[in-house]
Amino acid sequence: MTTDSDSSRQVVVRLEGVHKDYGDAKALDGVSLEIRAGEAVAVMGPSGCGKSTLLNMVAGLDRPTSGTVRVHGEDLGRLNETGLALFRRRHVGMIFQFFNLIDDLPALDNVALAAQLTGTSARQARRRALELLDELGIAGRKDTYPAALSGGERQRVAVARALMNRPALLLADEPTGALDSRSGEQVMDLLIDLNQIGQTLLIVTHDPHLATRCASRLIEVADGRVARESTLEPTA
Amino acid sequence: MSAVWRASRAAVKRRRLQTFVIGLVVLCSTTTVLLALGLLAAASAPFDRAFDEQRGAHTVAAFDPAKASPEQLVRTARRPGVEAAAGPFGQTVLEMPDDWLWMSAGSLGVVGRADPNGPVDRIRLLEGRWATAPGEIVVNWPVDGTPGPGRLGTRLEPRGAPPLTVVGFATSMSKSAGAWVSPEQMARMHPTTAQMLYRFTNAATERELRTGLTTATAGLPAGSLGTAQSYLTLKRAFSAQADAYLPFMTLFGVLGLLVSVLIVGNVVSGAVVSGHRHIGVLKSLGFTPNQVVAVYLTMVSVPALIGCVLGVVSGNAVAGPLLRVAFSGVETGSASVGVSRWPSVVCLLGMPALVAVAALIPAARAHRLSAARAIAAGSAPRTGRGLRVQRRLGGSRLPRAVSLGMGQPLARPARSLLTMAAIVLGVTTVTLTTGLTSTMVAYGQAGKSDGAPRIDVQAGSSARGRTAPAGSDRRTERLLRSLPGADQVTVRALTKVSLGGHTQTVFANFYRGDTRALASEIVEGRWPAGAGEAAAGPAFLHQHGVSVGDRVTVRLNGKEAPVTIVGKTMEGNAQALESTWQTLFRLDPTAQAAEYTVRLAPGADARKYIAAVKAADPSLRAALLRSDNAATTTVVGFASVFTVLLTVVAALGVFNTVLLNVRERRRDLGMLKSIGMTPRQVTVMTVSSVMVPGVIGGLLGIPPGIVAHRLVVDHVGVVAFPESMKQVWHLPQLAALVVAGVTIAVLGALVPARSAARLTIAKVLHNE
Repeated sequence: MTTDSDSSRQVVVRLEGVHKDYGDAKALDGVSLEIRAGEAVAVMGPSGCGKSTLLNMVAGLDRPTSGTVRVHGEDLGRLNETGLALFRRRHVGMIFQFFNLIDDLPALDNVALAAQLTGTSARQARRRALELLDELGIAGRKDTYPAALSGGERQRVAVARALMNRPALLLADEPTGALDSRSGEQVMDLLIDLNQIGQTLLIVTHDPHLATRCASRLIEVADGRVARESTLEPTA
Repeated sequence: MSAVWRASRAAVKRRRLQTFVIGLVVLCSTTTVLLALGLLAAASAPFDRAFDEQRGAHTVAAFDPAKASPEQLVRTARRPGVEAAAGPFGQTVLEMPDDWLWMSAGSLGVVGRADPNGPVDRIRLLEGRWATAPGEIVVNWPVDGTPGPGRLGTRLEPRGAPPLTVVGFATSMSKSAGAWVSPEQMARMHPTTAQMLYRFTNAATERELRTGLTTATAGLPAGSLGTAQSYLTLKRAFSAQADAYLPFMTLFGVLGLLVSVLIVGNVVSGAVVSGHRHIGVLKSLGFTPNQVVAVYLTMVSVPALIGCVLGVVSGNAVAGPLLRVAFSGVETGSASVGVSRWPSVVCLLGMPALVAVAALIPAARAHRLSAARAIAAGSAPRTGRGLRVQRRLGGSRLPRAVSLGMGQPLARPARSLLTMAAIVLGVTTVTLTTGLTSTMVAYGQAGKSDGAPRIDVQAGSSARGRTAPAGSDRRTERLLRSLPGADQVTVRALTKVSLGGHTQTVFANFYRGDTRALASEIVEGRWPAGAGEAAAGPAFLHQHGVSVGDRVTVRLNGKEAPVTIVGKTMEGNAQALESTWQTLFRLDPTAQAAEYTVRLAPGADARKYIAAVKAADPSLRAALLRSDNAATTTVVGFASVFTVLLTVVAALGVFNTVLLNVRERRRDLGMLKSIGMTPRQVTVMTVSSVMVPGVIGGLLGIPPGIVAHRLVVDHVGVVAFPESMKQVWHLPQLAALVVAGVTIAVLGALVPARSAARLTIAKVLHNE
């Protein structure tokens, strides 16, 4: 359910009749949905329901078999691989369950990497990365390598990296799935804070607690279809 | 089906590309090694076999019958150390006219023997029958095959001797004579020497042969022994050309083996490192450590065995043409030069064994690895390596994709070193080939660097059924000089002469006219300038045991002339020496030239000159001399083929490493792509990861390549390259060789880099 003020906001994500088949298996079966700027949307559903595929479509990591995926006005189906990479670089930040940090780089360089790929100088990228790490409360661990960081710290570094290029949309795939409960709570707080300052969020999770704490809208997916949409009341 | 075989088969299926790489590498290496071994075998085995079959003479000795009686010579056969002996046989030298049985004029050593068999030197009859009656002669046919029965009955007319009819063709591995007649016929020809053929108990070295002969002839009057020919000289002559090819074939073979070991070690260590989780699963299922090792050994042994078998097949297919080139023009006699079986057997047993040993060392890691650690590997973050350097690279001004790639080799230093070693070997090979090509091209251009066309003019001969020139050879020379376009004319007469101290006759080229081009081929001493001077190639000097400064006696037409060797030519027939017209005049004042080489003035029209020669004297046959050189073409051709093979193998080594790296870093690649790394940046990053090993490999590969080039050019027995042809290295060329290292690296990295660029991110990240 969207309010009047919600409907006045710009649509960041629009899926229209998206199908995705893997051979005979249907991962997505005619999904249509919209996400507006500043929204925090959680996607839930049982394993294999298609929620990760949905996230991949929005991130431009995978292409639909049919239907349209528009993010920030861009029809992703019309972009080639390079176009999709540039799209992700400019408009999307991603957080993964297993962090996906580069083991050979310290926290600061892992974060700076996203900006450096756009051609930003190393010095500027590191300055911005340090600001983000500072905002996330782990500036003191900037020179630490992933192997020596705790799970929560690793996910904070991953969040910082995702925010590096000021993306319009932050995608999180089970962001607390590999964390203990305390670290999980810290990451949830972080996501809430980000949403409160206007960051659009799309969270895929199994965890109802994460969904209800961080999201204002819940999309339940079953058998590749949107089974139910509901508005969530903040619990924090 | 055993569990090990089942797991190995699954491992092979999972690594189709690496399996293919191993198979291809082993195939290439086996081909190279087989060729080197095949050449090595052909260089001695066929001679030894044919020599033993004929019970060849270790020493063919000629005695003065005036000093040693036949009875005394027969007694030498019973002296200690003599295993068997034959003779004495009467021996003389006939002077043959030009074009007898298509051979050059000159001396022909003839021996009187009642039959071709005996305890020593069992002569093999190729055509016709043995000479039994006066007036009959059997001619030695030293090259492969037979002249055919059509030549039987040819009437030979030696100078100053009654005519003889050819009744047979035969061949002797001992080269005991140029022809044989019956003892009765020999008695009529007044033999000048008595021939004895010896086999000694110990005959492995020249020293043993000398000792054997000294012991055998100890009881003879002083000075009765005239000449003695060692079978080792014949053996050297037999293998001289093959020996010339051996150093570089061996080097390429060794390089091939090294690359194979590196690649196999690299692939297996990569498979073990990237298969930690798989090893853990196998062990947790109950596989013993030895069974796990067996899985990895089987995994590489299957493609290695297939590659080895295919390599043996292709090696044998290539060996035939190679041996034909290596033995072209060699007097092989009855020796059948072919591909031996033992190199194939050695390769079939040795290559898989080598692969197994190369695989065993990295596979031992799988043996030691605990199941729990193995299963945990991959899920926990790695502790990085070379972090400081990677940090610095990250802060550099290089594009981030480049700096990320350049840091990658540090993450797997051992694997990077193996890859670099493959690049080093590839660059060494390219360097060696580049050097060899430069040397061989300079060698092929020797004496014709001005690029002026050269015309070969042959005088007709009545013996060949063609009209002889109208006047003397002096008139022909004047004619050729007077025709438009002629610049220099070199006149040559070819004849066979006897050499003092040697049983076999040798060819002698006598020159007059412009010999500057010939003089440019001298690598030691100088070109003969006056009477009694000669030059010869390294093979002649080596096989006849003479050096520059030595004096030899040349005999022709019953005349003798002392000749001093004043120069060593870069190359030359092992059975030919070069001398002056003045020397020929001393031996045969009536000799006529048979061949003229005309160097035209730059820009002159060769076709017009040839037409003018024909118009001026139809008995002259003129043809443009081709500038290509068979040895140059052969060496450059084979070196190029091997270089392509080994470069491909080295590139495959890089390919395998990069492929492993890409597989190991799939998660990183997926993440990098998810944050916006474009496919082009992924390709650049992956290719950059081998640029530094490529440059270092290029730099390290050049010095051994230069050393290998030097080793090869210094050990080609039949050619003595002058220093100017060995100094082929220049700065731009060396810089280009460094680029070769980078090229090998980039070629190897490009395909996995493209596959990394096409990696489906969703699939990679979903796997996590």
